[in-house]
Amino acid sequence: MLVKPENLRGAANICSDGGRRPLAAMFGADETQRGGGLAIYCLFYNAQKRDLDVLKADYPSARPRNYPSLTPLLPAAAWYERELHDMFGFIPEGHPDLRPLVLHESFPEGFHPLRKEVAVDCQCHGHREYEMMTSSGEGLFEVPVGPIHAGIIEPGHFRFSQAGEAMLQLDAKLFFTHRGLEKALEGKTPLEAMTIIERICGACSVANTLSFCQAVEKLSEAKVPYRAWLIRTLALEMERLYNHVGDTGNICAGVGFSPVISMGARMKEYLQQLNELIAGNRFLRGLIIPGGVTMDVEEKQLEEILNVLKEVEGVYADMVHIMWEQANFVNRIRTTGIVRESTAFDLAMVGVGARASGMARDSRKDMGFGIYDEFDFDVVTETTGDVEARIKVRVGEVRESLKIVRQVISKLRRNAEVELAVDLGQLRTLEGSWGISESPRGDNIHWLMLDAEGRIDRSFIRSASYPNWPALTVAVQGDIIPDFPLINKSFELCYACIDR
Amino acid sequence: MMSFQNDLQSLVLCLAQALLLLLLAPMITGIVKKVKALLQNRIGSSIFQEYYDIKKWWGKPTMVTPYTSALFKMAPCVYFVTTLVAACMLPNFFGGRADFGDVFVFVYIMALGRFFMAVSSMDAATAFGGMGGSREVYIAAFVEPVIMLAVLSNVLHTGSTSLSGMALRFDTVNLTVAGVLTCIAFFLAMLAENSRIPVDNPDTHLELTMIHECMTLEYSGRLLALIHWASQLKLLMFLLLFSMLYLPLNLPVVLKVLLSAVAVGVVETLNNKMRLFKVRVYLAAAGLMLLLAVVAQ
Repeated sequence: MLVKPENLRGAANICSDGGRRPLAAMFGADETQRGGGLAIYCLFYNAQKRDLDVLKADYPSARPRNYPSLTPLLPAAAWYERELHDMFGFIPEGHPDLRPLVLHESFPEGFHPLRKEVAVDCQCHGHREYEMMTSSGEGLFEVPVGPIHAGIIEPGHFRFSQAGEAMLQLDAKLFFTHRGLEKALEGKTPLEAMTIIERICGACSVANTLSFCQAVEKLSEAKVPYRAWLIRTLALEMERLYNHVGDTGNICAGVGFSPVISMGARMKEYLQQLNELIAGNRFLRGLIIPGGVTMDVEEKQLEEILNVLKEVEGVYADMVHIMWEQANFVNRIRTTGIVRESTAFDLAMVGVGARASGMARDSRKDMGFGIYDEFDFDVVTETTGDVEARIKVRVGEVRESLKIVRQVISKLRRNAEVELAVDLGQLRTLEGSWGISESPRGDNIHWLMLDAEGRIDRSFIRSASYPNWPALTVAVQGDIIPDFPLINKSFELCYACIDR
Repeated sequence: MMSFQNDLQSLVLCLAQALLLLLLAPMITGIVKKVKALLQNRIGSSIFQEYYDIKKWWGKPTMVTPYTSALFKMAPCVYFVTTLVAACMLPNFFGGRADFGDVFVFVYIMALGRFFMAVSSMDAATAFGGMGGSREVYIAAFVEPVIMLAVLSNVLHTGSTSLSGMALRFDTVNLTVAGVLTCIAFFLAMLAENSRIPVDNPDTHLELTMIHECMTLEYSGRLLALIHWASQLKLLMFLLLFSMLYLPLNLPVVLKVLLSAVAVGVVETLNNKMRLFKVRVYLAAAGLMLLLAVVAQ
């Protein structure tokens, strides 16, 4: 649907259909080089049609760039609009919080890097204000944490407003290591882009690659071979397994529960070694390409996968048993860091975070990408929205993933295809295309538009952590500050995924 | 003249004992760490690692922020010296007089050291330091009565308020209800007093959950070495007290100390850190056990 900018909010209201079709992503595009102007795209999940609805607002000229903000209507748009404001200079009128999101103090005013007139290697220096959200009053104080942390993790600055040990408010300043990947991708061919796409994030490398490849494949008539889809599904579930198993153990690091931390780390290592056996590296990179996959998985490898998974399944069951047996541990995680269903709904959360709050959203079912319809698995949900629920969802998903992997392997054994990839031929240009896949943290969406020569004109990456980060700041309210590491780990949000 | 010589001799023996404990303390902490590592399927660092760490800190420059007062530099020294003085008062295993080392003086000399640490944690005016200090004092307020009750129970049992006197009159296999309850309760209080799981986590890097480590965040170099060394000495002292006055086993003290060090490691591995505000329930349980023990006598 194409609308005028001033009608964007009204159109978004219709598209979202009272929240039944949640906002999936919102981003800008500079189409001036091919005769257009600036554009804002909004994507909405449409589970009925198993599709994303695309809403586009077109600006015929470069100015003015204001439009009525969607945030008062759809709180999920808040971060997207701040990013539009930073990267393109759009002005969403009526946005409650238009502080910079991506471009911190050291960037000059009026610098909008995703505009085409800005060169990819430009240097800029500046100084502007960046105010953290604070609070004042008798007995209130602030605790600044980061951006450099004591552990080996990525940078993020958290500002807690405290009343004693209780957290009143949390403001997160992220995007410290924004890499400008979307800009760097412009001008590359889809194949050249693969190196970058696979390295957006370590934890969801397969999901990002798969989403991007699907976006490319939609621009071609060619059909990806069935065996390639089996291997892709195997890779996606292996990625989910090693993440969920490792994350379950890692959550326990928030409360210093060491036996479970060690067990989780040990199993994650087994699974990553299995990844190395499949793809030659621990992150399953270099396996998926537009049109199919690069490597076959042979009978000997399948045997090894089944053996290791059987062992991991046993140890994981022990580990979960130890966790639920420990009353002191259950006491820490129950009712800690609650995200209510209404909050998850408003913020259009995805993945584990959404499912723990009672929303049965899973792009493997809702969007039915690839061949997921062929497999028997359930979407695991919990209703309490606390740390315990998020652990339980992960535990359930490990079980379902194992189920899927075994089904994939039995299908692979019966499938005798030799062709692993298809030549995509000439890709359609100047046409928007998207791909989606379910990473361990939720769905990753990639948007792709090729210019007339078949090079990337605009690539937009929305990883699952993007819509879930704001939920963290809601989840902590009312809990005490020593519980923050635990709550934070239960979401297991990714910095690299948003610093794209 | 005789009595003066006796006093002098006792004093020298006490000092010798404190220095010996000081030398051994890092190894005991190393042993606890090793036990934990082995239980977590890790090889872990050598039991002498703590000595290397102290040596490392000793050779590093000591950074002090210009926003602090003289108290900031003074506090680690006071903490170290008070702990060392307390170590002098432990029952003397070289022999010596039984009326030396009053238990009330012992407990409150340690409290003096903690007071200085808590005050200095707020000196640099960082958010973490203040949080650590307030939490430490919050827990200390609950630990102190528990320790005093444990002492009282022992005073009733042995009829002496000096630590040496208690140790001399302590029949090693005190398997009465009171004896066992006191033993368990003192162990719980010992974990809390020495910033161990389930009350505090000595190994964590998570600034927001730390208690004791929070207070040391601003310290570096020799001051940091002093704090860590004193904390290690404190752990050894509590293990010694636990072994000599509470643990109802008929074994040499050295073995009992090693055994209780292993027990600390095992308990730390089996448990996770509890909610901060649950600590008072934990300590109240220890306190109740001690009340029962006192009543049972």
